[in-house]
Amino acid sequence: MEVTIVAEPTRLSFIPGKSTGGYAYNGRVPGPTLEAYEGDKVIVHFRNNLPEATTIHWHGLHIPSTSDGSPFHPVAPGTTFDYVFTLQQGTAGTYWYHPHPHENTGQQIAKGLFGSFIVRAHDDPLKGIPEKLIVLSDNRFKEDGTIDIAEPASHQGGIDFQNGRECAHIFVNGELNPTLTIKPGEVQRWRVINASAARVYRLAIPGQTLMHVGNDGGLFERPQEVKEILVANSERVELLVRGTGTPGSVTVLQNLPYDRYSIHTRPTNWETVSDLLKIQYTADPPMKARAIPASLRVIPPLDTTLSVRTRVFVLGQGFINGKLHDMNRVDERGKLGDVEIWQVENIVGMDHPFHLHGFQFQVIDRDGVPEPFRSWKDTVNVPKHSVVRFIVRFADFAGKWMYHCHILDHEDHGMMGVFELN
Amino acid sequence: MKRLISGSALVAGAAIVLVSVTAWKRPDPEQDKAAQIARGRMVVIQADCGGCHGGGVDPSAKGFLAGSAGPQSEFQIGECSIANPAAKPCFITRPKNLTPHPTNGTGRYTERQIFNALRYGLRPSKTPDVEITGTTPGKGNFPANPQYLAPPMPWTSWRHMPDEDLWAIAAYLKNGVKPVDNKVADSDAPPDFWASSWTVEKVGPYPAVPYPAANETGTSSAQIALGRRMVLSRACGDCHGGGNNPAAKGFLAGTTTKQMEFQIGACSFADPAAQPCFTTRPKNLTPDNATGMGRFTERQVFNALRYGLRPEETPDVEITSTTPGQGNFPLHPHYLAPPMPWPAWRHMSDEQLKAIAAYLKNGLKPMTNKVLDSEGPPNFWATAYTVERMGPFPAKPFPTENEKQ
Repeated sequence: MEVTIVAEPTRLSFIPGKSTGGYAYNGRVPGPTLEAYEGDKVIVHFRNNLPEATTIHWHGLHIPSTSDGSPFHPVAPGTTFDYVFTLQQGTAGTYWYHPHPHENTGQQIAKGLFGSFIVRAHDDPLKGIPEKLIVLSDNRFKEDGTIDIAEPASHQGGIDFQNGRECAHIFVNGELNPTLTIKPGEVQRWRVINASAARVYRLAIPGQTLMHVGNDGGLFERPQEVKEILVANSERVELLVRGTGTPGSVTVLQNLPYDRYSIHTRPTNWETVSDLLKIQYTADPPMKARAIPASLRVIPPLDTTLSVRTRVFVLGQGFINGKLHDMNRVDERGKLGDVEIWQVENIVGMDHPFHLHGFQFQVIDRDGVPEPFRSWKDTVNVPKHSVVRFIVRFADFAGKWMYHCHILDHEDHGMMGVFELN
Repeated sequence: MKRLISGSALVAGAAIVLVSVTAWKRPDPEQDKAAQIARGRMVVIQADCGGCHGGGVDPSAKGFLAGSAGPQSEFQIGECSIANPAAKPCFITRPKNLTPHPTNGTGRYTERQIFNALRYGLRPSKTPDVEITGTTPGKGNFPANPQYLAPPMPWTSWRHMPDEDLWAIAAYLKNGVKPVDNKVADSDAPPDFWASSWTVEKVGPYPAVPYPAANETGTSSAQIALGRRMVLSRACGDCHGGGNNPAAKGFLAGTTTKQMEFQIGACSFADPAAQPCFTTRPKNLTPDNATGMGRFTERQVFNALRYGLRPEETPDVEITSTTPGQGNFPLHPHYLAPPMPWPAWRHMSDEQLKAIAAYLKNGLKPMTNKVLDSEGPPNFWATAYTVERMGPFPAKPFPTENEKQ
């Protein structure tokens, strides 16, 4: 796959009746959805037409560090860079791309720079099921329609620094409360991406269950029936949604309250239930029920006995292991090919989603409770005062890799570290 | 001279000068007294005497040490609580006038009577000016029916200060503070004058049990020994558990009962339902990784005590400013919740604060006790901890308008 992506300033209408100046990939927010197959070579010709440095980080993909778009590889204004990588076998899933410049990721994503990347498998067990992509983001605007980014020293700046920039306007694929159509009886495959800086989504459709079939790194071994699903920042989920409604009826995708907050700055309206999406049933007669495969694929376990070391990461509020991020410091060093256990301890009273660049991992346990089933993850939410352990194999790609909190305000403030793999 | 040598860094420096001078010159009693008063002043500030007795930690503040200014300075002691203000018994106690006013202050007492109050909890108005040589009522000049200072006066902590500090406090109160005419009504007291509140079982022994007690590691150094003495003499355990007895259950292990919690804000005895009302909870100070201080560095503990910065929300850096956003001081500082008296503790010397951190991290055994997060306002108490409210750091030089040379 060979594409050209241009990041440039643009003016779009995000909210009714207002024109907003922002940034966009190829003039669109979200940017173009890229699709390719496992094994494909991907060449992205990137041009930075922004007035500032940027990168494209291919969130979740297992690719060379030189193409990871980390802060170590900024693309200067007015210059180009070719991201070149091959999509690995077994990595079919839902990914996304976004800027990752030093201390400026949150602002650039807030201005509109994010897009989806679907990696497909030739032997996809769910092939043929209609797909919908649901990219969740939120934003805040001033009266005149400009994007409202609080002054760091202001009261709102303090709240955003603590909670992350959580905003009242919630967008689905760049639209406010859009309508999605479904046929009665139809099964749809939803790929959901949380592209919000800080908002965590707890998704549900009233009165029906969802089949949770995949995470960050693709499909599970077996579908899991759930009533609701939590999607932390930068996480992805794949769901099978059954059209259980009658012809012409309407339902909604809801965002349920989730208390990720510090007790000091928990919003007073945090318990509000909001509708993200209207689900409109067509007038078609009900379709015949579709069988959902009981088995999706095999996920080989990473054996904990192969781990050569356990690293401990202590998450404070805005820093890791007591340290703010420093581009000139390597915090952790590892050896290519090693299997390691990472123990992430959140010692503060709010959740922090922990993201590791370049390598998918398997969660072992959360507060000592074993993970009920295997999946591939690149981000794991570490709830307040809890400990998550995961296992990861550092295969293929040496270099400097970032690990950080994916609340963008925290990441930009320095809640990030550098892991160098040799 | 002995009393000058083990004080704070400032006074210790003065002592070294004096020692070298006295090697070939006669001692100067006036200079000796001035150094003692300076030391007493620093201890009074560090120990937050003004937090209850008036003026806080700023010697230039109105009413500094002049005693209760009215109902807002009074305490309700007994069964009554915010949840049940009508419960009995409920004694009203009032911080006394500590300035040397001849009739309404400490002008009535000798320095020894003040020393005896701080070391033994004996009310100076009810205890003769004698050297106390025992702690058993009726023996060695200890009164047969001792009348003790009223709670919450933390004399059971202050008594663990070295003799030099207690004498220095007495010297400062008598000689370094101007008299203020403020008559404070007597505090209520039960018929035993609190004798049943101040038993060894409740407040631990004096002197404290030798190191290491059951809750302590035995890792020893001069720094840990100093830290232990500071922890005992600054009442850490009064809120964080175990009182001033390192052998007590739950020593410094944090909140375990509702009674250990605080209600901070507009709520009060008069109006328990008033808002805002934040529940704050003393934390687990033992070095447990999951629930205590195990994941904090000694520098983070130091920064908590010196700057009031919550260690879990402030990186492990040297702070070189007190202006938000400058010199590693956070742009949005997240302060420890009241009533943690860090605005007073910060006046301890670097050596003392580092010693406390060293003791907590290395001298205590880890205890697992998960304390719920304290509540607080969205600004993490920033408006509670302004210079106007807690005075400058370092304190204004001696003498301020409330003081005399």
